[in-house]
Amino acid sequence: MDKNKKEETLLTKNLSRKSFLVTAGVAGIGVLVAAEAATKSRLVPPVEIPTGETTIIKIDDFKTVKIDSKSDILIRMQVELKKALTKPVEQRKWKMMIDTRKCVGCHACTVSCIAENKLPQGVIYRPVTTIEMGTYPNLKMKFLPQPCMQCDTPSCVPVCPVNATGKRPDGIINIDYDVCIGCGNCIEACPYKHRSMDTGTNYCDETPSVQPYELLPNHEYGKDWTREGEFSATEGSARKCTFCLHRLEVGELPQCVTTCIGRATYFGDINDPNSLIAEMAAKPNQMKLLEDKGTNPTVTYLM
Amino acid sequence: MKNSDKINIKRRNFLGKGALLGGVSLAGMFFGGTASAKAQTAILKKKRGEKPYELNNAENIIYSSCLNCNTGCGMKVKIQDGVLSKIDGNPYSPFTMVPHIDYKNSIDDAAKIDGGLCPKGQAGVQIAYDPYRIRQVLKRDGKRGENKWKSVPFDQAITEITEGGNLFAHVPGEENRYVEGLRSIRALKDNDVASAMAKDVDGIFNEKDKTKKKELVEAFKVTYAADLDKLIDPNHPDLGPKNNQFVMAWGRLKNGRKDFFNRLGAAFGTTNLHGHTTVCQGSLYFTCKGISEQYIGAKFTEGQKFYWQTDIESAEYILFVGSNVLEANYGPTNRTVRLMNNLEKGTTKIGVVDPRFSKAASKAKTWLPIKPGEDGALALAIVQWMIDNNRYDSKFLKSANKAAAKEAGEASWSNATWLVEITEKGPGKLVRATDLGIKAAEKRVVDDPKDKTKEINYTEDFFTVMVNGKPMWVDPNDEDEAVYGDLFIDTTIKNKDGKDVRVKSGMQILKESANEKSFAEWCNLAGISQDAAVEVATDLTSHGKKASVDLHRGVAQHTNGFYNVYCWMAVNMLIGSFDWAGGLSAGATYKYDGSNDGVFDLKKQSGKVKAFGISSIRHEVDYEKSTLFAGYPAKRNWYPLSSDMYQEIIPSIGDAYPYGVKALFMYMGAPTYALPAGQTNIEVLSDVNKLPLFFTSDILVGTTSMYSDYIFPDLSYLERWEFQGNHFNNIYKIETVRQPAISPIPETVKIYGEEMPISLEALFMGINEKLGLKAFGKDALGSGLHINRPEDLYLRGVANLGTSENGGVPMASKAEQEAFSKARRHLDKSVFDEDKWKKIVGKENWAQVVYVLNRGGRFQEHSKGLSGKMLANKYGKLLNLYQEKTASKKYSGTGKSYYGYPKYVPLAQFDGKPLDKLADGYDLTLITHRTITQTKSRTNGAYWLTAIEPDNGIIISNQDAYRLGLKAGDMVKVVSATNKEGIYDLKHGNTKEMIGKVIPTEGIRPGVISFTLGFGNWASGAADMLINGEVVVGDERRGKGIMANAAMWTDPSLNNNTCLVDPVGGSVSFYDTKVNLVKV
Repeated sequence: MDKNKKEETLLTKNLSRKSFLVTAGVAGIGVLVAAEAATKSRLVPPVEIPTGETTIIKIDDFKTVKIDSKSDILIRMQVELKKALTKPVEQRKWKMMIDTRKCVGCHACTVSCIAENKLPQGVIYRPVTTIEMGTYPNLKMKFLPQPCMQCDTPSCVPVCPVNATGKRPDGIINIDYDVCIGCGNCIEACPYKHRSMDTGTNYCDETPSVQPYELLPNHEYGKDWTREGEFSATEGSARKCTFCLHRLEVGELPQCVTTCIGRATYFGDINDPNSLIAEMAAKPNQMKLLEDKGTNPTVTYLM
Repeated sequence: MKNSDKINIKRRNFLGKGALLGGVSLAGMFFGGTASAKAQTAILKKKRGEKPYELNNAENIIYSSCLNCNTGCGMKVKIQDGVLSKIDGNPYSPFTMVPHIDYKNSIDDAAKIDGGLCPKGQAGVQIAYDPYRIRQVLKRDGKRGENKWKSVPFDQAITEITEGGNLFAHVPGEENRYVEGLRSIRALKDNDVASAMAKDVDGIFNEKDKTKKKELVEAFKVTYAADLDKLIDPNHPDLGPKNNQFVMAWGRLKNGRKDFFNRLGAAFGTTNLHGHTTVCQGSLYFTCKGISEQYIGAKFTEGQKFYWQTDIESAEYILFVGSNVLEANYGPTNRTVRLMNNLEKGTTKIGVVDPRFSKAASKAKTWLPIKPGEDGALALAIVQWMIDNNRYDSKFLKSANKAAAKEAGEASWSNATWLVEITEKGPGKLVRATDLGIKAAEKRVVDDPKDKTKEINYTEDFFTVMVNGKPMWVDPNDEDEAVYGDLFIDTTIKNKDGKDVRVKSGMQILKESANEKSFAEWCNLAGISQDAAVEVATDLTSHGKKASVDLHRGVAQHTNGFYNVYCWMAVNMLIGSFDWAGGLSAGATYKYDGSNDGVFDLKKQSGKVKAFGISSIRHEVDYEKSTLFAGYPAKRNWYPLSSDMYQEIIPSIGDAYPYGVKALFMYMGAPTYALPAGQTNIEVLSDVNKLPLFFTSDILVGTTSMYSDYIFPDLSYLERWEFQGNHFNNIYKIETVRQPAISPIPETVKIYGEEMPISLEALFMGINEKLGLKAFGKDALGSGLHINRPEDLYLRGVANLGTSENGGVPMASKAEQEAFSKARRHLDKSVFDEDKWKKIVGKENWAQVVYVLNRGGRFQEHSKGLSGKMLANKYGKLLNLYQEKTASKKYSGTGKSYYGYPKYVPLAQFDGKPLDKLADGYDLTLITHRTITQTKSRTNGAYWLTAIEPDNGIIISNQDAYRLGLKAGDMVKVVSATNKEGIYDLKHGNTKEMIGKVIPTEGIRPGVISFTLGFGNWASGAADMLINGEVVVGDERRGKGIMANAAMWTDPSLNNNTCLVDPVGGSVSFYDTKVNLVKV
């Protein structure tokens, strides 16, 4: 199938399922709406991201869990995360760093992310690549988890024809699945190949029955992506890692961070100079992926 | 018709049948809303509704224990809309956080903290919700292994199994086959007769004189003339009663469920309850059992079936040998976090001995790509170097008894200095003080370690050491008089009769064993450079007590596994880091069974029939003592020191040695798939004459259960109870409790008038009820203490955990109790009924039960893990560098004595012959390894995992691939001398070829190839099945890749129906076969 044809199919598919759910409800037009009209109706300004005082979130401290220098870094990072939430969103800057020396290539992050975000078959937000180097018996092995780089100069955002994706004040690149038309431009534009198309396929489609965990709504962006009948609310949209924004806003670390059995992923507000992430960001042995592409990724690596 | 349409039709047809999870309407199965949470602050300002995050609310969380491998990490199960949504690590568990949060921390705090968990643990969701899960009892509707089934009512299945009959008259060829039921197999019902017979059989056993032995057998026949029809063979009363012809076997079984096994087994009166240890790392367990034998009542007894592992958290240097620590090895979640933190800080360095460049090797200071099977050579090279360079802990080794250990600041002590008598046959018995006349024997009394209410009267004759060249007696358990022995003794002394006795110390024997070859020769055998060996020897001896060797199955799963382990454990004894922080840990658990001041004695049972006789796998019994003794080699191997020989269960049935078996029950086991040469098991299982009745408990139609007559659906680990225990490397005292986190998938049934899901427990209780046994039911645990439901046992176990040891755990507050109830609102009444639960444990214990369940077990605080520089939970006992008991046993294949000391033993067949003939014409050594995403046979249906790693292949060095003209992606078949076709014969014309893609790499020793376990499955949802006349289409994703165990050598001296075995430690050989790759 050539590329144009593919896009067309996706667009049609997207409309046939989404027009009823969204467009019809909003614009008051019928189900049998022309593709062109529907596309135009979505040419709206970027989704407004709330800022200021209303975005301050106060979450209770742990009542009984004590924090000290020996605490698991997961606890320290979570405490720092809650502190960051007490500032308006525009004053936080989420950053992730991955220590490749501590990563063991176990894929716990990959799977935890799939489970948390109820990702359909074919969509993986955080693949981990294994690289072997050297000659027997002098060998090296490196593992590279690759979430969305949440670039400061993203190449995925400008190519969106409908303003469905944007850079939030806290640094996260978001996608509004209700606006996304599934054209695939952003998927092509991402030099890291960290966006993929949600084709609505369940893992158990070809088995005796789709299983209940596949029918649960996800919480991405704090919104209710409840399925409409057999259709997923996100089908036909581009998908990508959100840093588990829905968890951040309730004081929880991203799942890839909490589940990491090597504690190789650091996360926090880089604007907080006393945070672990700031401490790590000051280390000399840093690397960015595809620096030459000029995307300025927020996610960096310790080598 | 498109393929997908076909599937849809089949799926629809199937819906009404309900035999599989995929066949029921899911809507009705899940209920219970989600506890409300505050709406989230708007992230996107838009019309779509908010979705409050409810997964960090204690009311939507149940803590339980993972079982996607046997590490059993504490897990946090999050429920969304009544459905299992997400699994994370339980922050109370030391397996998922370092440090773990305090046990007394609130459940509201804990709800907001997610601990780490490996990908398999995460994928538990898909083990529970697997469309191929069975919900009804399946009865064979075709020949064994044809995969044709019909669902039958639970009661009918139980009746057929217990009463027998022409059960398979509907199957061509079996029209007239009468199947004997369990009721008739249980021939001996009178416990008095059984007990008396057992005693007399002991007498026959212990009679050494052949003629007298025969006379005793004849006398036995006279004494029990009225009951001889109840024996398997009256001419061999030591085979025991016909009851033994019911064999109960298991793959993965944990405490609690093990009690269900033990209770039914004891009521039935069969001695044949067999586990699977030897397919994992059996010889590691049994060498350490020998090392941990204690001298009590004048004999070596109470050896623990266990092993030591390193306390990674405080270690400075660890040599991992054959232990894939970052992907397997008990286990990824708990050991990786500790190791990676320390490696990054630079406080720990590691060495890795593995033919394959594992992930652990990539983090190591030194990688030693050893030749498979040569572990003993490398270990003895290191022992030699340590002794030559005086790099061992002489203070520890000289301490010859408990008092000396105390004085030296040690918790454990060894027998390294004890004197051993040397005869022309080599090292034999330990020299007693009474032999030398240096100390008179003493009459003593000691508590019976097997039954604390009893005492043993015995004569103590003491051991001996040399102290400054003079013989001195030593009492190993004496806490007052410290005795320090001379380390290296090789001399001749006078015994009490004035005769010369040649004696050596255990250390001396070790030294000589290590000096059998030069350092260079040992290294050459192991294929390791001398520099690398010196480097790890230096590292091991440069960190005091914070260094150790951490072993696993790579060392144990060879025909010489027992001695490989022994040699490496000798290195550990020379280092002497047992019980030290950063050294070797033995683990500790809280007692669920009531044995430590619990409120309920779960071992209590009436109506037992004393089980006796040689087991069907000849475990813990001497061939020479049996009436079957007929010279060497024995027909099959006997295992005087080991147990749970998985590979023996089915081939022994095939050979009817020592006797035929009438009924086999297998729980959560897949020997056909998991065992080396597992295809040999299929030959027996598919033969109804060799095995008349075969029934299984499984959650799927699996690679072994597909050969059974009946499959009883079971609960997955997310729906059931168990006490997972601890593992040796975790230094904190714990007990992780597995409890139902979701409603049961199988249908429910009524037993003892109680509704419960079909499960292992229901099956056993059903059999018990039908046969009128007392293992379960009214008063099963004593007057008024019934086991009418599974919870009757499990909850009382939880009550024991909650109430014992220092007053038990705190009481759950009212709020906690409310959260407890709410978190279970989605559970079906058949598994959660709060009023019933309260009644079972009693009101007075309820708050503590809730406290334990609200935390998923009982966990010692992190701050209490160490006591000073030592581990708080210690082994603290005698360590046998020299094993007298082992030295007293013989190889049943050759009649030669076992060695009682660490020794290099070459690879061999059961009959002692070398493996050269098998190797002739084959030049690649086949090994296996684990990937973190799979656990042998039971994770192939986790689609999140197969999405990441869909298949495996043959990992081969670039050098070998080039030599053989193979390139990446080429498909090759694995063939060996004992499987020239390279296939699994699954019967009825079905075969599975051992074909896999070539994966060339620099990361493996040339001459060695490997594949990851867990792929190439031929059942468990991978194959089509006919159920109730409908085709259930298998899913090809579940069977991708290669399983090449069938290429592993069968032993020609074991009728080629069993893999190669370690005749001492019982392990199966996983890493000794030579194969060729044939391009296809």
